[in-house]
Amino acid sequence: MRFGEAESLATPMWEERDTSVHAVAAHLASLWDASVAASADAADAEPVVGEKGMPHARASVLNLIVTVVDGEAADRVVHTLMDLGVRHPSRAIVLVPQPGSDAHPIDARISTHCHDVATGGDRVCYEEVVLTVRGDAAAHLSGVVAPLLIHDLPTSVWWPGDPPFADPVFDQLVEMGDHLIVDSSDFRELLDGLRRLSSVRRRSGVGDLVWERLRWWQELTAQFFDTPRFRRYLPNLSRLHIRYATAPAASRRAEDHEVAPGVAAPMSQALLYAGWIATRLGWRRHRTLEPLADGRFHLRLEGRYEMVDLLVEPTETDTVRPGELLSVRLASVGEAGAAQFIVDRDGDGATVATNADGMTALLRRVAMEPPSEAELLSSQLTMDVVDPLYEDALRAAAILLASAREAAA
Amino acid sequence: MATRAADADMAGERRRTRPRPGGTAPEARPNPLREGLRLERMAEPCTMIICGATGDLTDRKLAPALYNTLLGGFLPPEFTVVGFARRELSEKDFRDHLLESINEHSRNRPVKDAIWESFARGIEYHRGDLDDAAAYVELAKRLDRIDRDRGTAGNRLFYLAVPPNLYPEIVNQLDRAGLAAPGARRRTGSKRGWTRVIIEKPFGWDLASARTLNHELAEVFDEEQIYRIDHYLGKETVQNMAVFRFGNGLFEPIWNRRYIDSVQITVAETVGVEGRGEFYDQTGALRDIVQNHGLQLMAVFAMDPPVEFHAEDLRDEKLKVLRGVKPMSPAEVAANTVRGQYVSGWVEGERISSYRDEPEVRPDSETETFVALKLGIDSWRWAGVPFYIRTGKTLPSRVTEIAVQFKRAPLTLFARAGVSQVEPNVLAIRVQPDEGILLRFGAKVPGQGLQIRSVNMDFRYGASFAVDSPDAYETLLLDAMVGDPSLFTRDDEVERAWEILDPILTAWASGEGGPLHFYAAGSWGPPAADELLEREGRTWRKP
Repeated sequence: MRFGEAESLATPMWEERDTSVHAVAAHLASLWDASVAASADAADAEPVVGEKGMPHARASVLNLIVTVVDGEAADRVVHTLMDLGVRHPSRAIVLVPQPGSDAHPIDARISTHCHDVATGGDRVCYEEVVLTVRGDAAAHLSGVVAPLLIHDLPTSVWWPGDPPFADPVFDQLVEMGDHLIVDSSDFRELLDGLRRLSSVRRRSGVGDLVWERLRWWQELTAQFFDTPRFRRYLPNLSRLHIRYATAPAASRRAEDHEVAPGVAAPMSQALLYAGWIATRLGWRRHRTLEPLADGRFHLRLEGRYEMVDLLVEPTETDTVRPGELLSVRLASVGEAGAAQFIVDRDGDGATVATNADGMTALLRRVAMEPPSEAELLSSQLTMDVVDPLYEDALRAAAILLASAREAAA
Repeated sequence: MATRAADADMAGERRRTRPRPGGTAPEARPNPLREGLRLERMAEPCTMIICGATGDLTDRKLAPALYNTLLGGFLPPEFTVVGFARRELSEKDFRDHLLESINEHSRNRPVKDAIWESFARGIEYHRGDLDDAAAYVELAKRLDRIDRDRGTAGNRLFYLAVPPNLYPEIVNQLDRAGLAAPGARRRTGSKRGWTRVIIEKPFGWDLASARTLNHELAEVFDEEQIYRIDHYLGKETVQNMAVFRFGNGLFEPIWNRRYIDSVQITVAETVGVEGRGEFYDQTGALRDIVQNHGLQLMAVFAMDPPVEFHAEDLRDEKLKVLRGVKPMSPAEVAANTVRGQYVSGWVEGERISSYRDEPEVRPDSETETFVALKLGIDSWRWAGVPFYIRTGKTLPSRVTEIAVQFKRAPLTLFARAGVSQVEPNVLAIRVQPDEGILLRFGAKVPGQGLQIRSVNMDFRYGASFAVDSPDAYETLLLDAMVGDPSLFTRDDEVERAWEILDPILTAWASGEGGPLHFYAAGSWGPPAADELLEREGRTWRKP
């Protein structure tokens, strides 16, 4: 099954206001007791691979905890989870903490979803629990969630929006999980967010949907230098020019130069890209040539053998999501003269060009369809919880942004 | 102002001196930007020459596989395809033909226009007879020109998408035109790069013909240049099995004669000969399935851990397994093999006519459409453990699996409670259709009494990962371009497989190997196949 294909609701939705964690856990357990009872006769059958006697199989992947700010955000998350299709976690728990509310402490909604597995005729099911937690209980979310997790499965914590890094509840949930997933383009204060994320990684694996969006850019960039004769240019890179998308000025808030509608920190992707290259090639920061203004900055970095100019600048467009990269241009000098390695995005595709070794414009077109949030999340959920490449890039991105905020030398 | 902050160093490691590159040239080092990325490998710039490019294999498998590999980002911009065939086609005709094939057969379709336009610029057509020396001379010139214009660095991959009887002719023509040698040994043209050749099964007809084919190939190519495709090995099976066995501490200690009672390998098809009557009637199930898929699955299952997960180590270990399988005498063939042929019956709700009534099949054909074998591996690990292999056409379900039956518990502790025998544990590794692993074990039925029933502990790749696996051809083509022959069969493996099977074919042909049995389409083979196990107190699984 592919992303976004319809699923069927396997059991009627269970919804209870003013309920308890115990009641929610009991209902979750009863869902599978019923399933096992229905298949009791199957034990007499011949041994088979694939549970032909079972009406459904439960996905055996992971627990996912999601924390959102309100019911509307919870609905959006549920929609994204539906789009995950077969890559869905075994149990998703969506938390809506409302500490300021005095109403009954816990409202719960449980639904079960099943879908066909592409490779076989059986169906795989998962559960989705939405909990609105109020009053004092909202300050102790780990106690609410812990009894509801499926034992012995890894647990990921997805925090859409701007995570409250300083809130003890954030720490509680991060401690419960093996893997924290955020979207750094949603950070209201990007530098602080990147730095705090760097410290979180000591307790938990960290993933970032922005990093996932960079996947194709990284692949295309690496491909330039898979070719041995072009790899010669790599140590001598002298310029990296990155353009990223921002929303047209008319729709942007005038008072904040880093903020665009729907994307609080559009520069995040460009910074992580630059951080990735910088850590792979051993670049160090050297001087600030143009400090950050209107989303643009210019740094001089110290490469292994050359000084490198890093120029990051926004371009207003409504053709792609704010924050997406629009172009990357790498310049170098080799024995055969200057070389350029270019990826230029336009819409759902990109033009990749190499000008090196006296060959002009070795061009090709590649697909670059923007992945949906569900695809990004799905990819993060299936990867290793510890991603050293990202962690290095994250640290470097924070350093680059700090440098960009310094006065020009 | 130069920044002096403690966090100035973004790479987290350091050198203060900055010598210019010396010693190892940058191009000889690994690409630092490739490190840690999801796509850990990438084809080198190369030209793939498809000999017999207008055939069915190109349409159904090669063109879609190349397109999907490109979409996945595994092909470099320099990658070039040259179709080489007799048919009178223009370059545009050939490109249109490939486009049509991809749109019909690819798992990613329709083709994206912009991607195709870019890919199509690297597709050429070379018209010529495959036995015409002049066509190869022209081909050599074309490839040199491509190396210059597109930067393919002298790397060439020849895919022989033709019937095996044409292999010797093509291979010799490549040699005469100077196209078979790797760059350093080429007489003319590009002096750098590699040359590889991919051939399809069947790799011979019997031991003698396999040796002849290997000899003919070896006269022209070094063994490391030859990639013999068994698409079964291009599935995820080999890696999955290796990870399951050698990536877990739990299973390898019990993977031997002390704990395992027997092993069953089933490769079952629901289809009949599907219009390939003439080919199949000369081939039969033993040659078509057991010689390659059956024995390869057994070898991967039974091999010792390789020193490293590298091609030669893997193939060495597989060969050791095959060498442990001793060829049978005629009497052993009669005792340990069953051959069958289907007669009319019903499969998946459809009536199937008898094999002998299929088009292009001889009405008195003795060709087997079903085989059941009992093999043994004379090794320290497997001595005394029977390996049962069965394969057949028009069986009730399409399934490939390896099932391990473990030895029973040494004591029947629960006999006094009325439980005389607990079923033995079974571990079933399913290769297709829904790849997964099932462990069957006994559990107490809840309640006051003591009843034991077998229950399933089930893992399915689909439920846990659910990512699209690449088609086998995508994996194998990329492997060949990268230069990783792990999933390809080596010459000595092919010959050893024939050494095992030749005595069976001979004994069957002479009548000493037992009669041909008949079975109804839609059944699990002839009763004699059941008797092969029943006389040793075992039964076939019904997967």
